[in-house]
Amino acid sequence: MTVAPPDTSTKYDLDFAKWVYENIEGGDKLALCMQCGVCSGSCPIGVQMDYGPRKLFMMIRAGMKEEVMTSSTQWNCTSCYRCVVRCPRSVPVTYILQDLAAKSAELGYAQKTNENVNFARSFWWSAKTFGRTDERLVTALYYFSFGLKEGYQRGLANLKIALNFVKRGRMHIGLPHRIKGRRQLKAILAKAEEIAKREGLH
Amino acid sequence: MTLDGPKAGPKSQTILVVGGGIAGITAALEAAETGHEVVLLEQGPSLGGRVTRLARYFPKLCHPTCGLEINYQRIKKNPRLKVMTMCEPTAVAGRKGAFTVTIRRHPRYVNDKCTACGECAKATAIRVPNPYNYGLDKVSAAYLPHEHAMPMRYVIDPAAMRAGEGAKLKAACAYGAVDPDEKETTFELSVGAIIWATGWRPYDPNKLDVYSYGHSADIINNVEMERLAAHDGPTQGKILRPSNGEPAKRVALIQCAGSRDNNHLPYCSRICCLGSLKHAAYVREQYADAEVHIYYIDIRAHDKLEAFYNKVRSDPQVRFIKSKPAHIRVGDDGRPVLFGERTIDRQIYAEPYDLVVLATGMEPSAVEGYRPAVSLAADDYGFLVANEQDGDDGIFSAGVASGPLDVSMSVQSATAAALKAVQAVRSGM
Ligand SMILES: Cc1cc2nc3c(=O)[nH]c(=O)nc-3n(C[C@H](O)[C@H](O)[C@H](O)COP(=O)(O)OP(=O)(O)OC[C@H]3O[C@@H](n4cnc5c(N)ncnc54)[C@H](O)[C@@H]3O)c2cc1C
Ligand code: SF4
Ligand code: SF4
Repeated sequence: MTVAPPDTSTKYDLDFAKWVYENIEGGDKLALCMQCGVCSGSCPIGVQMDYGPRKLFMMIRAGMKEEVMTSSTQWNCTSCYRCVVRCPRSVPVTYILQDLAAKSAELGYAQKTNENVNFARSFWWSAKTFGRTDERLVTALYYFSFGLKEGYQRGLANLKIALNFVKRGRMHIGLPHRIKGRRQLKAILAKAEEIAKREGLH
Repeated sequence: MTLDGPKAGPKSQTILVVGGGIAGITAALEAAETGHEVVLLEQGPSLGGRVTRLARYFPKLCHPTCGLEINYQRIKKNPRLKVMTMCEPTAVAGRKGAFTVTIRRHPRYVNDKCTACGECAKATAIRVPNPYNYGLDKVSAAYLPHEHAMPMRYVIDPAAMRAGEGAKLKAACAYGAVDPDEKETTFELSVGAIIWATGWRPYDPNKLDVYSYGHSADIINNVEMERLAAHDGPTQGKILRPSNGEPAKRVALIQCAGSRDNNHLPYCSRICCLGSLKHAAYVREQYADAEVHIYYIDIRAHDKLEAFYNKVRSDPQVRFIKSKPAHIRVGDDGRPVLFGERTIDRQIYAEPYDLVVLATGMEPSAVEGYRPAVSLAADDYGFLVANEQDGDDGIFSAGVASGPLDVSMSVQSATAAALKAVQAVRSGM
């Protein structure tokens, strides 16, 4: 086996691991990881992640901030919790990935590389506006988040599927579904935001 | 201070050793050879414990029987050492220098007139799972524990008596050794010190549900691998696939199967890396074209045993794969398939094998078995350690009962326990 020589172009942020331990939910447990590979091996979509949790955790320790914050790993995690159940060191892998995703979006890293960020944003816009997700609006918002031209192309490519959905009553036409207590929802979300700020969760 | 009740027995300088494995045998002999009276209790029908079921010992790959044989000679020569098989303690009362131990003796249905002629075994058609081979094959319900058993005496499984075979078995024995009417008995012993050497059991592989132990005969654990490699095992020492009897030429050994895992045994069992290195050697000795893959987190070949690791490592047909497999499934062709991530190069794999061996760890017997409630403290994992406050109250632990040890370390700890017990009974007078 040959091991690649160290890549000297990589920038290492030696405070990054500490930042993760202190600021990411479950991050304090990361020091327990023994690099066994069970999480990445158990992940049903592990092959669709650039690094997978195990390697991502090693990169955190190494201080590879840029690569970690722009990784697809945290965005492709489906929260199935298989890794959490199996991790021999009780590392809360899923929680760490979820919060890494949130923080990488918040700090402006994720947008550069991750389509899933755009989807999450569209989804959340619909959920907080109507109290429901409207497939058409979520999809449209998501497609056009890549720009006018690409949004148009993506829409066209999927038009047939959409029409079939409509035909079978799987997608409704007309105004978006919405909940009655939208004002209360808004108040709840505002309160949550306030608590999060107070507790230093942002 | 009292144990399990206030009753103190009469003063005694006798030392009781509980558990007749390599640690218990050593402790009993060392104490007896200093001139003390010693009673050695063993719950099973013969001495030796788990090591009698190992095919060979690492690192020299020598046979456990020769070391045991020397000890058996020492036992036979020593009039101060009394061995009681089929016996287990059920209560301990009193204090250092004056313990009363209640002992239950299970019926063996064969007395000391037995010459090991084997006629009783022929007299019954009832067969039971062979405990010596971890149930991988069956034996007659009247059986000799194994060919080097000490004492060299048959034992009859209660199943035969329940089936009404007693009279037939009795008639078959020309020496009057079969006693179908033997009952369970209870008696008390007065002793001055106790050494607890109750050893271990393999961690139950059925609890590792992701490794599909119960779903394929070709997924076995490491103690079963020892039996497959032993000349008196179920395959006469040939390493064959249990499913179809074909040679196992592509073998995976999985380290830390249940050990170093918060969901199972949180500690390192310390001997299973070396056990698997030994298993790689067993396979490679038998088949020139075999491939052995060792899946590991990190190899822990402690102190002097590193040399054995380097020796196995130098075999190009033994591959070390740094990965804890995520799960095992039974493939379409019936072979077990390992899934996981190789952590050196992040390759996700699905690898089929003829035979998969789970290197299950050692769990202390005392976890579910009886142990004196006071005095010896159990650590977080159930190993018995000296109580901080009462380090010298006449009860000591030895061998794997005290921690995950190999044979030489078990013998060392047993010798130390014997010395402490001798000091305890002397100071008590
Ligand atoms: C797969 C595998 C391979 C191994 N290979 C090696 C090797 O090659 N070399 C090496 O050095 N080590 C090896 N070991 C470790 C070795 O098996 C142990 O070090 C050894 O068995 C310890 O002996 P012991 O006397 O402490 O315990 P045991 O062998 O478990 O003996 C304990 C005895 O106590 C009896 N007992 C238990 N409870 C009671 C009770 N309540 N009353 C009365 N009696 C009781 C039991 O019946 C048993 O006879 C291996 C371990 C494994 C798992
Ligand atoms: S399963 Fe747990 S210990 Fe193993 S690599 Fe993943 S996080 Fe680390
Ligand atoms: S000895 Fe090896 S296989 Fe056994 S628990 Fe320790 S590291 Fe794992």
